[in-house]
Amino acid sequence: MMNEFLMISFYGTAIALILIGLYATLAKKNLLKIVIGLSIADSGLNLLFMAIGYVKDGTAPIFSAEVVGKNVVMVDPVPQALVLTAIVIGFAVTAVALSLVMRLYRHHNTAAIDEIKNLKW
Amino acid sequence: MVISPVQYIAIPLIAAFLIPLFGKLNKELVRIIPGLVLLYLSYISVVLMNQVISQNTMIVEIIAGWRPPWGINLVFSPFSGFLASLFSMLGFIIWMYTYNFKREVEDAQTEKFYVLMMMLITGTIGIVLTGDIFNMFVFLEITAISAYSLTAFYRERDGAEAAFKYLLVGSFASFFILLAIVLLYSQVGTLNMADIAQKMPDVNPYMKGVILMLFFVGFGIEAEMFPLNGWAPDVYTQAPGPIGAIFAGMVVKAGIYGLVRVIFTLFDVHEIFPLLMIMGVITMAVSEVIALRQGKLKRMLAYSSIGQMGLVLVAFGIGTHEAVFAAIFLMFNHAVIKSLLFLSGTYLVYHSKEKNISDLDGIGKSLPFTSFLFALGSLAIVGLPPFAGFWSKLYILMAAADVRLIAVIAIILAVSVVEIVYYFRVLHRIYFRERISTIEIKIPSFNAKISMLILAIVIIVIGVYPDLISGLIERAATDLLDKQHYIQSVLSVGLH
Amino acid sequence: MNSLILLLILMFGGALFAFILNKFVPALRDIFVVLLMLGVSYLFFSTGISNRLNFDVLGIHMQWGFTSASYLFGIIVVVLGSLALIYSTAYMKGKDRLGYFYMNFLFSIGAMLGILMSRDLISLFFFWEIMTWSSYFIVIYSGNDVDRRGLKYMIFSAIGAYSMLMAIVIVNSFIGSFLLEDVFASIFAIGSGYQIAIAILLMIGFGVKSAMMPLHVWAPRAYSESPMSYTAVFSGALSKMGVFGFALVLFNLVSTQNWLINEVVAWLAAITSVLATFYAVIQSDAKKLLAYSSIAQIGYIIIGLASNTYLGVMAGLFLAVLHAVFKSTLFMAVGAVERQVGTTDMTKISGLIRRMPWTFVATLISIIALAGLPPLGGFVGKWMLYEALITSGHYYLVIMVFLSSTAAFLYSYRILFGMFLGQEEPEFAHVKEAPLSMLIPMLILSGISVLSGSHPGFILEPIQSAMASFGFQSNLPHESWWELTVLFNTWGDKVALVNVLTSIVGVFLIALAFITIKGYKNQRYVTTKDISSSGEIIQPEDNMTFQIDFYKPFERAIWPLLKRKIDDYYTDFGKGLEALFDFVRRFYNGNGQFYAIYVMAFLALLLIAGTKYFGF
Repeated sequence: MMNEFLMISFYGTAIALILIGLYATLAKKNLLKIVIGLSIADSGLNLLFMAIGYVKDGTAPIFSAEVVGKNVVMVDPVPQALVLTAIVIGFAVTAVALSLVMRLYRHHNTAAIDEIKNLKW
Repeated sequence: MVISPVQYIAIPLIAAFLIPLFGKLNKELVRIIPGLVLLYLSYISVVLMNQVISQNTMIVEIIAGWRPPWGINLVFSPFSGFLASLFSMLGFIIWMYTYNFKREVEDAQTEKFYVLMMMLITGTIGIVLTGDIFNMFVFLEITAISAYSLTAFYRERDGAEAAFKYLLVGSFASFFILLAIVLLYSQVGTLNMADIAQKMPDVNPYMKGVILMLFFVGFGIEAEMFPLNGWAPDVYTQAPGPIGAIFAGMVVKAGIYGLVRVIFTLFDVHEIFPLLMIMGVITMAVSEVIALRQGKLKRMLAYSSIGQMGLVLVAFGIGTHEAVFAAIFLMFNHAVIKSLLFLSGTYLVYHSKEKNISDLDGIGKSLPFTSFLFALGSLAIVGLPPFAGFWSKLYILMAAADVRLIAVIAIILAVSVVEIVYYFRVLHRIYFRERISTIEIKIPSFNAKISMLILAIVIIVIGVYPDLISGLIERAATDLLDKQHYIQSVLSVGLH
Repeated sequence: MNSLILLLILMFGGALFAFILNKFVPALRDIFVVLLMLGVSYLFFSTGISNRLNFDVLGIHMQWGFTSASYLFGIIVVVLGSLALIYSTAYMKGKDRLGYFYMNFLFSIGAMLGILMSRDLISLFFFWEIMTWSSYFIVIYSGNDVDRRGLKYMIFSAIGAYSMLMAIVIVNSFIGSFLLEDVFASIFAIGSGYQIAIAILLMIGFGVKSAMMPLHVWAPRAYSESPMSYTAVFSGALSKMGVFGFALVLFNLVSTQNWLINEVVAWLAAITSVLATFYAVIQSDAKKLLAYSSIAQIGYIIIGLASNTYLGVMAGLFLAVLHAVFKSTLFMAVGAVERQVGTTDMTKISGLIRRMPWTFVATLISIIALAGLPPLGGFVGKWMLYEALITSGHYYLVIMVFLSSTAAFLYSYRILFGMFLGQEEPEFAHVKEAPLSMLIPMLILSGISVLSGSHPGFILEPIQSAMASFGFQSNLPHESWWELTVLFNTWGDKVALVNVLTSIVGVFLIALAFITIKGYKNQRYVTTKDISSSGEIIQPEDNMTFQIDFYKPFERAIWPLLKRKIDDYYTDFGKGLEALFDFVRRFYNGNGQFYAIYVMAFLALLLIAGTKYFGF
């Protein structure tokens, strides 16, 4: 019961984060808010991945069988490794995005995305 | 040193991070090191390609001792190897072009440029070589991040704007691809592409459809599919000239590789082919039509490039062996020809602020060599004989005719007429208008001329004697279509 | 090495070499191109028609080699090419970009030979496109592409070429081979809908090059804007590639049940020839006049081919050869005038007969051939054409041809009078005869024109064998064709013409000499102002000379027919397309967020539609 609740809240939070992030990215006009939205959506996705890798009553996948005994289940280690990578990538993308936002703000004196339209058609 | 595909990734990546250190020793090393690296990559391409073709195998490289499906592996198959070789050699030629390019910028900028360029090339080669779907995502991100930065390379242009659009849309691409990978992992519990392909039939068809659509959109963004390609014209316009060539020649090709690898090998769902073809037709028609109304040279080239990618998608969407052959041939031709156009076009509008086509009036007299090569590239890209573009277009049409897609043939040909119009309009301006603009002319450096000349010679040689390369492409097409062979080759590695 | 490959390597390699040579040793360029062309001609004549070359490219089987039909056209190409290049050396002297000019000139001649030696559709298309772009580069050579006529040429050629390509790939998808013989053998096995579509698509391609209505709009400007030395080849040989293609399609790809196609083609050609003749009459620029006249003449040729009778086809091919000869002479003559006088506007020049007598002779002979008067070959051709049409019952077509060839007299006279006759203005007193290297090609070609009238057999003999290769078996008495001095009709009775013809020639030449010498002596100069105005003050806009509005009444009569040009419809269509394209462009509105929204919307659409249409 407890675990199911945990799972539902895990998935629910992840999907909620993704939706909030996408909403911010698609609806907000401010460049910074867009970047924040991307970042939130990314976190939501990472959380979702973690949730998928979760195994009921699992422990951290770093203990070997001699330490915790043979019958103890472990959570799937692969998503955790991948999420680590994804976090790093998300960090790098956010850094580039923020530097671009700064450049744009200095160049156009505005952070509204619909006013930065020098390149079109 | 033993030659192995892992060097494709390791050497340029190490070089990229060592470039600033070398810069401390000698400023010139910053420019020379990438060339040496790319030359070496071209060399191992020849050796490995030879091995793959002559022994009729694919080279599967296990990384860190974990054999597939557990560890990450690199697959140098005829198709991925062909593209990796193309990227290395094209990279070397473009490096040759950049060697004396923009000597006036600061040394720190030069260092950044080469670091990012090496990462970009590493990323694209990684995408095609990897046998692990998450690894492909990582390389896609490496490519994307360096591409964002390179797009914003020039401070005085609107590079940041283009880069931000690219980043925004590109983040969606990586988001969708990652989401697809997550869902896929939850279904099959593996990340190895061969293993996924093997287990794919067991996946719930509804889930399969959703995952495929996510991949389709994600890689579609990288492959510049309409309507996902809003970022592309801006990026091509604002990036430095040689980087535009890399985008057109490598980055998009890597995106297309991802798309077709997922569709053909991972999913092998034939229901998606009509969608691919329809999207290809729309992409091609819309962007060629828009290219006709462009006033700026690079933007025109960008839309033309998108249009050609649409044609590639059409060919893949037809899905027969002949069509896949034509598509890979067109990918090769487009990489070479569009690089030539970007490289020579860059010098034609070198000092022009607006990069307008009208600034080209009468430039044929001041820059005869560059203009000539641009003209040659134009004739080749619209598929006029005796240049390379003709054969790939012919094969696409033949493949379409064989499955009686008469309407598709008609659209391809109608669009080709549009293509002829806008390229020939530029040529007319170059050669038959009086020069009125007072914009300074930049004469290309010797090495830039040589690099363009090499591309031009390739175009003519392939055009007159296409069989020179058709064997390789034939093998690549067979490789892409033979899913079982791929699975067996990868999964049997290290078993004995 | 096979002489066919050698031929092409010489042509294309020589073209590139001429370009490079011009950069370094411009003095040797002219000699090089002429020698190259003569060498190629020698090689061509020594090749013969039995030579076949088979090879594979990209798994496509190809075959090269001449048939007697393509050999006939090949003779036109090499002869005209050589003469036009000799002519060029003087005509183009002192102009810039000569390396570019000669390179494309040689490219296009090489491509024409390539077309003729192709025995499969892919090489045919391959060389066809090379011919197209190389000729385009010469059309825009002069740089006066103000209203984008050169581009129009390219667009129409591209449309034509791509319809050809479409037909080619469709044929291949049915038959599995590109070889002409395979295609001819199995074309009638495929569905008749596709069969007709293929024939029509191919004819669009060939119709563009032969400037058939309604695909002709590029031609007048393209012919008149290119340098005249090239137009001689352009109108003489290049447009014959379209005729050659028509012959291939009409005789091999259209089944005899589809008589309607022949009929439609013949009628289109007839309308082309009538309208183009009318346009030619009202032109005041000699180059444009000849351009329209070329379009009209090719109309006759295609009528002949489409009549699908032995005599009609023979007339068509005969006129094709003859048109190549006399029209290129005329273009060369006009070019000579242009070079010596500086203009070809017939309202400005007059009375050049004494300044450029040899040019006049060449023009006169060619005009006679063009107008179809005895004793020259034009008469022979027209006679055969009329007879073929009458015996096959195409009476309305006869009326059209008759109308057009009668109207052709008007412009024929116009060009003679406008440039050479009339009184000599003092401003032309300094004009000199064209240099020898321009005169010789013109006179050689005029000689051929004369010979074609007195001994049509020397042209009819190769035509006879060409027709055999198209599948027409002669039902005519076959003697030694070279000695043919009679004209014949399908009833088999012979009309002895040789004596009549030779005596007409003799009388004509004597009269000509007499008039010329006499006129030369007794000529009095009258200024155009020297006209009694009967007390009225002459306004500047009053027309005081014949030169302007030469055929005003005629023009007024036919104007309603010509008022709305087809060209205008195309231009409007193009403008509409451009507006549409501009609208499509707005999709990329510059706002990055919109692009992201497109992505989301597309994904949502796919997920919804995917479940429905893609079987998930």
